[in-house]
This record gives sequence, C-alpha cells and structure tokens, in this order.
Amino acid sequence: MKWNNGNDKQQPSASATGVASRGLRTLGFGFGRDDESREEIERIDFKMVTFSLAGKDYGIDIMKVKEIAKFERFTFVPNARPFVAGVYNLRGEIISIIDLRVMFNLPAEQHSDGTPQDGLILRLEDNLIGVIVDRIDRVVGISSESIQPPHPIFADINIRYISGVVEHEDRLYITLDVDRIFTKESEKARAVGQSRRVMDTPPGEPIEESASVTAPAATAPDEQQEFSFISDGLATFQKLYASAINLQWLQQRFKQWRQERSEAQKPIQFADEHDAAAFVRPFFSANSEQVWDRSYSEALRAVLPHAETMVVNAWNPGCAKGHESYSLAAVLSTHYSGRRVKIWAGDNDLLSISTAPNLILAEEAVPDYMQEFTIGTANGVTFSAGIKEMILFEYHDIRHESGVPDVHIVVCRDLLSLLEPEVQQRVLTKFYETLVNGGVLIVGDNEQLNDDTRWQPVSDQIQAYRKV
Amino acid sequence: MRVEYINPFVESAYNVLREVLNSDVNRGELFLKSTAMPVLGVAAIVGLAGDVEGRVMFDMTRDTAIKIASAMLEAMDMEPISTLNDMGRATINELANMITGQAVTKLHELGFKFDLTPPAILSGENMEISDAGVEALIVPMEVPQGKIEINVAIRERS
Repeated sequence: MKWNNGNDKQQPSASATGVASRGLRTLGFGFGRDDESREEIERIDFKMVTFSLAGKDYGIDIMKVKEIAKFERFTFVPNARPFVAGVYNLRGEIISIIDLRVMFNLPAEQHSDGTPQDGLILRLEDNLIGVIVDRIDRVVGISSESIQPPHPIFADINIRYISGVVEHEDRLYITLDVDRIFTKESEKARAVGQSRRVMDTPPGEPIEESASVTAPAATAPDEQQEFSFISDGLATFQKLYASAINLQWLQQRFKQWRQERSEAQKPIQFADEHDAAAFVRPFFSANSEQVWDRSYSEALRAVLPHAETMVVNAWNPGCAKGHESYSLAAVLSTHYSGRRVKIWAGDNDLLSISTAPNLILAEEAVPDYMQEFTIGTANGVTFSAGIKEMILFEYHDIRHESGVPDVHIVVCRDLLSLLEPEVQQRVLTKFYETLVNGGVLIVGDNEQLNDDTRWQPVSDQIQAYRKV
Repeated sequence: MRVEYINPFVESAYNVLREVLNSDVNRGELFLKSTAMPVLGVAAIVGLAGDVEGRVMFDMTRDTAIKIASAMLEAMDMEPISTLNDMGRATINELANMITGQAVTKLHELGFKFDLTPPAILSGENMEISDAGVEALIVPMEVPQGKIEINVAIRERS
C-alpha cells in the first residue's frame, strides 16, 4: 500500500506516542485502495525542503533536514577544500559548512561580509553538516511514486548525486541524495586534500581572522517559514494537523514557544518527537481522560438544546477510556430527567475502548457532584448501571461510516485536530448532517469553528456551537 | 462495532480453530475496515439478525480452504480432498457454523439476542465485498494451513 512508504520513513518518530501509532495503524489498514478521495490524502508520503541553486529548484528529503538556518560569520579552516566554507558553532556543536554551489561548480551569488546566507542543517548518518544554498523555498509534499529517475540532461550536478526528479505545481524539482553526496565527497576530499594542499585557494566567503570559534550567530529564518516547519513537525510527530479549527491556538502557542525556547537557548524547530510533544501538551482540553469537574458540566448543561422527543441521543467520538461519555451521561440524565438518554461513544484505540464499559476509577477521581451516579466496587468506584445502560461503546474509526442515528448533541473534543484537514471537513459535515436542527456540537477547548453559516457559537466558557 | 461483541468472536474463532485443526493458532492485530474489500478466494458467510443486523465472513485462499478441509476430514478418519468439491465446501461451512455458533452462544449469555442464517460459500477470482453503512472488524488468524481473515460487520438496529 502506498501509505506504507511514508510510514516506514516516519516509523521511529511515529511510534513515540500512542495516538500517533494508533493513527498510523488504522490509516494503513483502514483506507481502501479503491477510495479515490482518500487515496489523495495518503499519496503525500514524501516531504522535501526545496531550495534553489543557480536558478534551478532542488529538494532534499525532510527527514534528512534537521533545521533551516541562516549562516553568518563562520570560521575559515585553512587547507580545506574550496567548497568547505568553514566551521560553524551551532549552539555549542561545531559543524562544517559546505557551499553546495561551489561543490557543484555553480555560480555563487556574491555576498558582502555579514549578510546571513540561507542554509540547511542536514542530519547525516553520523554527524550534522551545514550546506549553503541560494535561497530556501518551502516544504513540498509529494507522492514518492511521482518521483522520476534522474535524467542525464541535468548535467549541472553529477547524476550520481541525484535521486530523482519530480514535478510539483508546474515546477521541476531535482531531489538530491545527501547521503551519497557527503559520504563520497568527504572521502574524496580527504584524499585529494592531501596532495593538493598548497594549491587550494580559500573560498571567497567571509573569513574570520581569529582561529577561535565565533559565537552563535544564526539569525532566525522567516517566522512564517518557521511556523510552517513547526506545523509540519506536529503532523509528522504528533499527527496533529494545522487547520482553521486550531490555527488560532497554534499561532498563539508558536509565539509562546519561540519565547520559551529562546530563553532556554534551544532551537525553535523540533529536534525530535519529545519537543513536538512538549509543544502540543497544552493543546488538550481541560478534563481530558478524567471525569468532568463541576464548572465544565455546568457550562455544558447551559448550552444543551431543547428536545421534544422522548429519547435524547448524543454522539461522543474519540471517547478513549470513556470518562467523557460517563460524564456526559450524568449531565444529560440530570438535565433531561424522565427521558431516555442514549449515547453512542466510539474510539479507534482497541485497548482504551475495551476498558471503557467497565471503567474503574479511584474514589477521589470522582467529584462530589458526580457521586450520586457511582457505586463502590472492590477495586474502586464505577458508574451505576443506570448510567452504563445509556452508553453504547463501539470500536469505531471516525473515518469510516457509522450507524449513528440523528442526535441532539455531539461531543468531539480534540479529535478533529488529529485528523487530516480533508478528513476534518468530511467529519464536520457528517456532524452537521447527523445533528437535529438546533443540535449542539462541542469541540475541544482550543478548537474553533469559523463557519457562521453552519455553526453559531453559544457559550463563553466552552467551545459549543449550535447547528444553524 | 459494539465493544462487547469483539471478544466472543475472537475467542470462539481461536478455540474452534485450535480444536478442529489440533495445532497452534496465532491471532493477528485486530483492525477496522470500511468500503469494498477484496475476498481472498473462498468466503463462508453467516448472516446475523435479531437485536443487530450484519454478517460474519470467513475469508481464505482456495489453497488454504482445501488444506483446512483436508485436515478436518482426516481428523475424522475421512479421505482428504485435493480440489474444493462438495465435501470440502460442506466442511468449510461447518467450520463457519461452529465458530459463529459458539460466538453467538457466548453473546447470548451476555444478554444479546442473535439469530443465524445458514452459511453460504462463495468462491471465485477477484471478488470484492462491500457493506454500505457498516464498518467491519477484521480478525486475522494464522494457522499452519494458511491465513483466515474473519470479517465481522454488525450494527445495532436503530
């Protein structure tokens, strides 16, 4: 399956979080190969950072790129090969900087002293290396299947270093095989360097007279570019996709993150999945994976729709271990007392959902106002049979069809952001169609719906919207 | 699919296969599937009705079906088969019936009422199955004779 190409590549990072690995597994099996619209989504399995060298567009696999940087003031190394622009102090780590244009015998734009130069820091097998390019463009997502084999016509660069050619939005990108370039070149450089030591002329790049290493001098690349890298990292490491639903939170968090990281003297871009997890931690709504506190329950109760039917239906996708569904059942049964409440709760994590029907809580985990709905057991407390009967827990993937009938309330907190933007839209439409007129949709604390024609906000305290 | 339904199917498939084949059975990761999906070659289908509606399908390649039927026949001191003949189909039918029957008995004990239809066998090349509006739970089982995919698609009657 096509998805698996990308999957393999991202395996080390994706398995780091439960959500991510679950998501991957379901995606891998869940998408039929005959569903065209979904295939579009899974096709993007290769992302590359694109840049230009002497007017041509190139790309490097994003998994090889540690970060994007601006290089300024690096230290010249005597007797190095001409394409070695110098060494550079990357937050305490000394890395060599290669000028790709000199290396490939391309004309280099001349820079006056002190102008920062665009570059990439690449993660090779055993070390980091910096490369200077003319200009960093952006991140492009493509399908690895659309990469064509290199053609001898691209004579600018030795064909051995080209892994392929790909067209994207009418531009032709040459993808470079960085491992091959740098492992071979460095060996060759060593060998040649010995014999031609005296003949090599230093490159016409800024030279620091002092032999000592300069202080860190990387200036921040464009904020927007950085933001796009951050959101890309979130999608890769955390399976959290930037979209209109969470953009406001992401931008706010990004500002905060920049500040935190610069104060701690750490890079803004994610070095690994732990950084991404730290970034995303404040995203998750209050009362996640626990019984709702009184104020949340009251805020929710205030927005519940008027229901004339004898049966009140609710849908709770992404219910995990069921804390949310039980809390909702308690609130609904109080509010609609005398009527039958039915909740469809689903999750695609088999382990969580399997424990949901018999969820056992510690006594102190249940707030006072909820205690009338629980009963004691040998190991802790659980919800009463009356509450349990209201909820139907299903092993269900929100991407698939569901048999949920018309409902009055949908509670779907923090799940939309974990779906690819196209799926988000599809699921939102499904919510809209499933809700009765005047029905209410509740999303995560840090999610927002901005479509006034469909969703009208109804609460100041929680993210609740009425179907228009 | 309702969580309570999962275990009875997984357990009875495991128990019945181990018993009739008298060998080790490995269960793969469970997963969910939607939309049309290919059928491996031989599929035994048992319909379900009652509180729910849906069906259970036992899907395997023709080669696996012949090997499993032969193993079951030999265990009863009967001649093994080399092509999927009437005897082979009846044997696979019986296997499907045993697994579904045992699962439904377990569900009955939990308070869910299911009725079964007699199994039907479909065989051929390049077949697909699709169920509108239902998501299917796939339980992959590995036995020495090959792989059996148990495909359970059930929804509550609303």
